[in-house]
Amino acid sequence: MTTNGDVLIKVKDLHKVYHNRLHALDGVSEEILKGEVVVIVGPSGSGKSTFLRSLNLLEVPTTGQVYFEGVDITSKETDIDRHRQKMGMVFQHFNLFPHKTILQNITLAPIKLLKKSKEEAEARAMELLKLVGLEEKANAYPSQLSGGQKQRIAIIRSLAMDPDVMLFDEPTSALDPEMVGEVLELMKKLANDGMTMVVVTHEMGFAKEVATRVIFMDEGKIKEQGAPKEFFENPKEPRLKDFLSKIL
Amino acid sequence: MLQTFQDKFYQNFIEDNRWKYIAEGLGITLEVTFFAVIIGIVIGFLVAIVRSTYDKTGKLKILNVICKIYLTVIRGTPVVVQLLIIYFVIFASTDVDKVIVAIMAFGLNSGAYVSEIFRSGIMSIDNGQFEAGRSLGFNYVQTMIYIIMPQAFKNVLPALGNEFIVLLKETSVSGYIALQDLTKGGDIIRSRTYDALFPLLAVAFIYLIMVMIFTKLVNMLERRLRSSDH
Repeated sequence: MTTNGDVLIKVKDLHKVYHNRLHALDGVSEEILKGEVVVIVGPSGSGKSTFLRSLNLLEVPTTGQVYFEGVDITSKETDIDRHRQKMGMVFQHFNLFPHKTILQNITLAPIKLLKKSKEEAEARAMELLKLVGLEEKANAYPSQLSGGQKQRIAIIRSLAMDPDVMLFDEPTSALDPEMVGEVLELMKKLANDGMTMVVVTHEMGFAKEVATRVIFMDEGKIKEQGAPKEFFENPKEPRLKDFLSKIL
Repeated sequence: MLQTFQDKFYQNFIEDNRWKYIAEGLGITLEVTFFAVIIGIVIGFLVAIVRSTYDKTGKLKILNVICKIYLTVIRGTPVVVQLLIIYFVIFASTDVDKVIVAIMAFGLNSGAYVSEIFRSGIMSIDNGQFEAGRSLGFNYVQTMIYIIMPQAFKNVLPALGNEFIVLLKETSVSGYIALQDLTKGGDIIRSRTYDALFPLLAVAFIYLIMVMIFTKLVNMLERRLRSSDH
């Protein structure tokens, strides 16, 4: 897992205030390099999901900038939809399209947005389905799948757009425990293939094993970060020590 | 007994070709309903888009206010009064086909109810669906068309079918502007033969049959659309 030092996402002094009360993000500045696997942890309400969702502007920051591949995507002039095609996102609740088959779920965006032919998009979709071992589900509907299967489909649905970065918003939190492994396994495979990933998760095992960097957020701020070994074995912030003692 | 039945039947429907009042009235009723449904869907769809876009993004503020006034006025006044106003006030000085007046009045009226049905359907779709669409790179309109609308339509189909049944029956007040629809046709026969039972039962029976056929069609469509919910 090497990074070549190129900055993929740069965040400058991000603030998010809800209804002028809750300060969900309180001045976050950060850089995500190409090839990095950044895992963000923190207690609930720490702003980690808000931060992740700000990266592709699903959450519009109150002030501050987000640069993606050098372009300020928070600027009004930027066509955010075009840049979002390059930023895959995986949600806690999968959000597969229930009215479409698995194959249609995967091919919808490549056909409509990348203007791929149906054959081309389907061929790629079948490749991806093979990657996760779910080829036989191509013509099934999402409601016929288990949670773990749904999340793996959601991941390859994003991959079908050939994104430059994948954002994961608690991808295993809604899964039954026995299904967490298959999803993490796929994410590990992606990381090993060099995909840049930003992951909000409670899976500390994944953070330790796969992350190149772990970030601890609390009260809308990045309180501490570092390589996983240092982060977990030698935490400095009292809040992080407290957090780790509770979950490990 | 049987003799009087035959006599009455003959008198009400056969004599002077009185069945034609029913047949022609039915034609008018179907014509008005059909075009009013189309207008209602178009208006309802547009209003629902404006309203839910405002709810979701805060855009289209002025259009939203206009739509809200439209909904308040239409839903706050009886359809007969709306029909009378359109005929005797708005088209007072022009010689316009009554069928067109009825189509406009019922279409305008239905649009208000259809828009709220559509809107509730759109709002009932989990926001995660919307976010998934946007995160793939679809813009607002594309997300609506490819992802939200097909699901919303399926959810509101029973309510929509119900609204059309209500509309079909509501056109029976067209007689207020002397339009000879099905109900008026039956009423004319009654005024000629002084027999209320036969013509009115015949009219009621025809409405019932139409509603049953339509209900059946909606159920079939619903079942087909539900094929993805195993």
